[in-house]
Amino acid sequence: MAFDNTIKLNTVAPTTPKKPAMQTLANIVLWSLFGINLSLLIIGFNQPIDWNFDPFISITNFTILIWTTVTFFSAIVSSYATNYLTGFTYHSAFMIRCLGFTFSVMLLVMANHILLVILSWLLMGVFMSQLIGVNKKWGEAREASKFTLRYFLTGTGFLSVGLLIPAFYTGVFTITKLTALISEIPLFITLISAMCIIGAAVVQSAMYPFHRWLLSAMTAPTPASALMHAGFVNGAGILLALFATFLFASNTLHILFIIGGLTAIIAQFTKLLQVNVKQKLACSTIAQMGFMIMQCGLGFFNAAVVHLILHGFYKAYLFLSSGEEVGQTKPQQPIHLRIQPLQAFAVLLFGVLGAVLFALWTGKGTKLDSGIFLTLIVAITVGQATYNIVKEKSLSVVQKSILMPVLFMAGIGIYALMYLGVTQLMADLPMIAQPLPLSWVQLVFGIVFLLGFFLMKLGIYQKFPWLYVKLLNISQPYKRSVLMYKSK
Amino acid sequence: MNTSIQHTIDKASKIIGDTWPLYTFVASNPLSGYENAPFKEAVLKAKEQLTASVFPDAKLYRQAWNKGEIDKEIISELLKYEGFTDAPEMYLEHLEAQQPTAIVNENNKLDRVMSKWLAAFMDEGLAEWSMPFKTEGFYNSWRHLVIYDDECDFTSLKEIPKSPKDVFDNILKDFKEEEYIALFTYHLAALPGWTGYINHRQKTNSDWQQHYPITIEEYLAARLWTAKHLDIPLLKKVEQDTSQKEIAKLQYIWLKAWEASWQKDLVHTVAKQTTKATDEKSNKPDAQFVFCIDTRSELIRRHVESKGDYETYGYAGFFGITMDYESLEDGITRKACPPIVASGYTVSEKAQTGKDQSLAKYKSINSIDKFKVYFLKRMKNMLPSAFGYVEGSGLYYGVSMIIRTLFPGKAYTLKSSKQIKTESFCEPSITKIDSQDTDGIPLAERVGIVKSSFNLMGWKQFAKLVLFVGHGSHTANNPFGSSLDCGACAATPGRNNARMLAKLANQPDVREELSSAYGIQIPEDTVFIGAEHNTTTDHIELFDAEVPESHLEAVAVVKRNLSLAQETATQDRLGNSQKSIAKAHQKANNWAETRPEWGLAKNAGFIVGQRDLTKNTNLGSRCFLHSYNWELDKEGKALEGIMQGPMVVTQWINNHYYFSTVDNETFGGGSKITHNITGKFGVVQGNGGDLKMGLPLQSLYDADDLMYHQPLRLSVMIEAPVRRVSEILTRNENLRMLLDNEWIYLMVVDPTQQNVILRYQKSIQWETVWKKNKNVRKENKTAGQQKLAEEISM
Repeated sequence: MAFDNTIKLNTVAPTTPKKPAMQTLANIVLWSLFGINLSLLIIGFNQPIDWNFDPFISITNFTILIWTTVTFFSAIVSSYATNYLTGFTYHSAFMIRCLGFTFSVMLLVMANHILLVILSWLLMGVFMSQLIGVNKKWGEAREASKFTLRYFLTGTGFLSVGLLIPAFYTGVFTITKLTALISEIPLFITLISAMCIIGAAVVQSAMYPFHRWLLSAMTAPTPASALMHAGFVNGAGILLALFATFLFASNTLHILFIIGGLTAIIAQFTKLLQVNVKQKLACSTIAQMGFMIMQCGLGFFNAAVVHLILHGFYKAYLFLSSGEEVGQTKPQQPIHLRIQPLQAFAVLLFGVLGAVLFALWTGKGTKLDSGIFLTLIVAITVGQATYNIVKEKSLSVVQKSILMPVLFMAGIGIYALMYLGVTQLMADLPMIAQPLPLSWVQLVFGIVFLLGFFLMKLGIYQKFPWLYVKLLNISQPYKRSVLMYKSK
Repeated sequence: MNTSIQHTIDKASKIIGDTWPLYTFVASNPLSGYENAPFKEAVLKAKEQLTASVFPDAKLYRQAWNKGEIDKEIISELLKYEGFTDAPEMYLEHLEAQQPTAIVNENNKLDRVMSKWLAAFMDEGLAEWSMPFKTEGFYNSWRHLVIYDDECDFTSLKEIPKSPKDVFDNILKDFKEEEYIALFTYHLAALPGWTGYINHRQKTNSDWQQHYPITIEEYLAARLWTAKHLDIPLLKKVEQDTSQKEIAKLQYIWLKAWEASWQKDLVHTVAKQTTKATDEKSNKPDAQFVFCIDTRSELIRRHVESKGDYETYGYAGFFGITMDYESLEDGITRKACPPIVASGYTVSEKAQTGKDQSLAKYKSINSIDKFKVYFLKRMKNMLPSAFGYVEGSGLYYGVSMIIRTLFPGKAYTLKSSKQIKTESFCEPSITKIDSQDTDGIPLAERVGIVKSSFNLMGWKQFAKLVLFVGHGSHTANNPFGSSLDCGACAATPGRNNARMLAKLANQPDVREELSSAYGIQIPEDTVFIGAEHNTTTDHIELFDAEVPESHLEAVAVVKRNLSLAQETATQDRLGNSQKSIAKAHQKANNWAETRPEWGLAKNAGFIVGQRDLTKNTNLGSRCFLHSYNWELDKEGKALEGIMQGPMVVTQWINNHYYFSTVDNETFGGGSKITHNITGKFGVVQGNGGDLKMGLPLQSLYDADDLMYHQPLRLSVMIEAPVRRVSEILTRNENLRMLLDNEWIYLMVVDPTQQNVILRYQKSIQWETVWKKNKNVRKENKTAGQQKLAEEISM
């Protein structure tokens, strides 16, 4: 169309900034890698992969599983960043670090030599802290970057001690050989080693009291946060699965169970009072990681791996959509639901049915061992869902009686499929699904868990103002990463 | 409290305007409290108090200079007059050499602790566990909790005064009365975003404010007491930096030159248009469209006009109905008229005749959707369902993530087709605000609304179809979504105002009264239709469920042409010759898109007059356009209304864009990529801190350092006899103040004097800038320069 006046009023069309070449490259590399890994994964189901390049590298089905997962997250993040970071001064730097991070994780899961394990663990931390401080012009981001790096270096320190002690003691430097020799290593060595590995894991997964780094990492652009919560914090689960034998040998699983369980409860309460969406998501991640560590503590490393993958989907999605939390609302008093006897019966019935279904499909909780614990959680979850649905007035009885079974079967079914699949893929790893006999620790903790549930359910916590302030303060970011600088 | 202290606090709170909540993000002037002072003086004061930049950064001048947006002749003259005799480039380099330095915030701890408590208190439902004692107001709530806060070191309630009054009594005794204002200002300026949100809550008395009150005094008291307790000096002298004076002067000269250059182009464009013979058309157009004055309408109007025998008008997008709108979806009543106007009516939805069932069905689906949201929140928050829920639903999140990342455009088409369009079975119904009477409003008021809209626009004849087109935006994952909606409707979509006006204008009793009492004859076969312009995709949706059968064919033709207009408009806007609509759909629905559309960026002018003044001219979406016919407005009442209403609103918008651009961190929102939503109403950067008060970087810049919006003050151009304008200004001191203080510029095209173009000078003096067949610029060069120069050295 021609207009007879196109003078400077209509200034020259903006020179839209070009996508950096790095971005295009990253998109191609990451999606291709994901495609290849997914194919390998499917092949691996029928014909387990076991490629050894002694002494450094060992690629198994488990390696491929984690490769598929991490390349999936990185590819999504990369595609997302293509638009999201348009015009960002450090767009290329961001992509380079994402790629660096992805390759570090890939290195970790294929490493057999412990020096490679330590190196990749270190690199993961370095790249992640650089993503947190990717905007170099921003003082608070630089502070946050330094602060988180200190944590990651501590974690790597723990891991180095934990792996080098048994290595020097036995003189072997690969995971496979160390694992084979584990019964010959004296307890005090495995104990120190296991404690250090646990130390590395709890720093990485931001377990209380090492949680503050995760709450100070929001200076990272949103897609980096997605990657952090889907692919970095859960590195702990991978590490623990790789060194499960150390934990069994040193009998330190209960420690994991307690740290994980306590953190899960504290973080879930802390999440309730967060007013910033990203901090809220971070608290949720800490709780979910606590749960994952707890699963490890119960001997279900396979369940922990399933959890870390599924949680990755969930949390990456929530970060990437975290701009949706704006909305006008009205102040509301919490609704107090009263339950009728018949509805209570439905809650109980579906809870039990859910547990039975779960036990049948996954095989967890069929015997009297630590698996009961996980089955119990499914039962309560299904019960809670039933409770909310039966109370809802906008749904008819018919709708409810269709909705509930469909919902529960879809949820439990898809989980069971994942669980069985992952278990099969992890079959080569030693001791990854070893239910523990029920112990008093688990029982006591089971009661603590239920207590937490009732405190939350009944809203009793709201009666303790001091608790509010304590939880508010433990969830504050590092002080130098907020309002530290101003420009003049 | 002592009224003089109260008065001083009120005065200090004007240090910053209002921070608007993002769900109704009205673009307002952050320095509205300074408007009674000259622009230059005001911004320099704000600069000192807020440690902010108030003029465009040198890099923006450089970009404008390189693109030729700053007229070399104009800048040279202005510089020379001020005694800067070297070449302009030299001064530009001098400005570029000024680098901002980051300094440590010496009140870091105080600011951090206060923003922690403010964020906790002002939350609007993001947290499930809200701050205890909230109902007792901020000060009390803070007082009862802060004793547990290790960071603040209070040990018992006894250490904290019972009320803000006691705090002031205690603290102010160490200060002289004339120091109060400096003390309060210093503390309120520390976290201007939060201060602005308290201002906003106090002014609007929102639901949240009624339940959980917070006042500036309360915040100030808590802050001062904390500072005292932590041994932080209460008042620091702000050092006068005299070396900056010359820099500021240079910056201002460059700004003025840039503005003058743009005005020169505008004058040139309009002048060219007025000298052209206007093609008088007596034929009725096939359809008439009324769009909002919004700058985005300029583009779509051009494209609609070129698709048929269509006439378009510009009118404030609330269509003259001062209403609140009650949403069917969430039941919340929102303001849907300019914030400067009090609402007189409430509009809600009711079923069209015979369509009660559709409405009932919609309501039940809607309540199920609401339950879904509640259910998911419950499952995620509770122990231990949070863990079970993640395991059961994780894979579904994974699948959605793939769809949203890789196929946003296709998902948009699917979503749009599945969406229930309530307009197809509902009609708007109007009642007096706060009235239980559901019978609607008296005939006289309905007639008044319809009549004044045709009066203001200077309407002459009615086509068979008249469309009132409101506008709204469609974006995904965008905290600033409402900033792209209709500003005249208080940052809500304008569709309902448009539908309401169409309905009123279609009512037989209204038409009869218009004809008998006011001589406005609306032909019987004229049908009014409400519509909405989706500014992200340029799709225009017609709400035509109640159009009589006789007009359906005409409507179908219009719809076809509007599709063509969408295609060319998106091509024009997105610079994409093929698949431009698909591209627009992607932008609308991509959750990773930080620049879904440009909103009102680049706004610089407001043209009030007939369409002929700018028709067939590409104004590049830089001008607000209001239709006005001076011949039909003998007494100037309509023009006065336009200058009091729309002109002030456009000034707000323009100033907001200006300040958000010149200091994006302080007055704007900073970059979207590190935003962290707080309290469901605002954003903070990264880990937290001050509430962001303005538009984000991505609404103003093409890239971190590449300007899109040019920060120029608004130039208003009115087509009317200059005497009439002078009279209006004489009557309205507030308008004169805006002009005399240079918050906006005013020019007049006087059709009674051969379309001479005049520029407003101080105190209702006019300077001729263009005259037929004369080179005015040369003539009054010196006089003009003198005036510009006086303003600069002020």
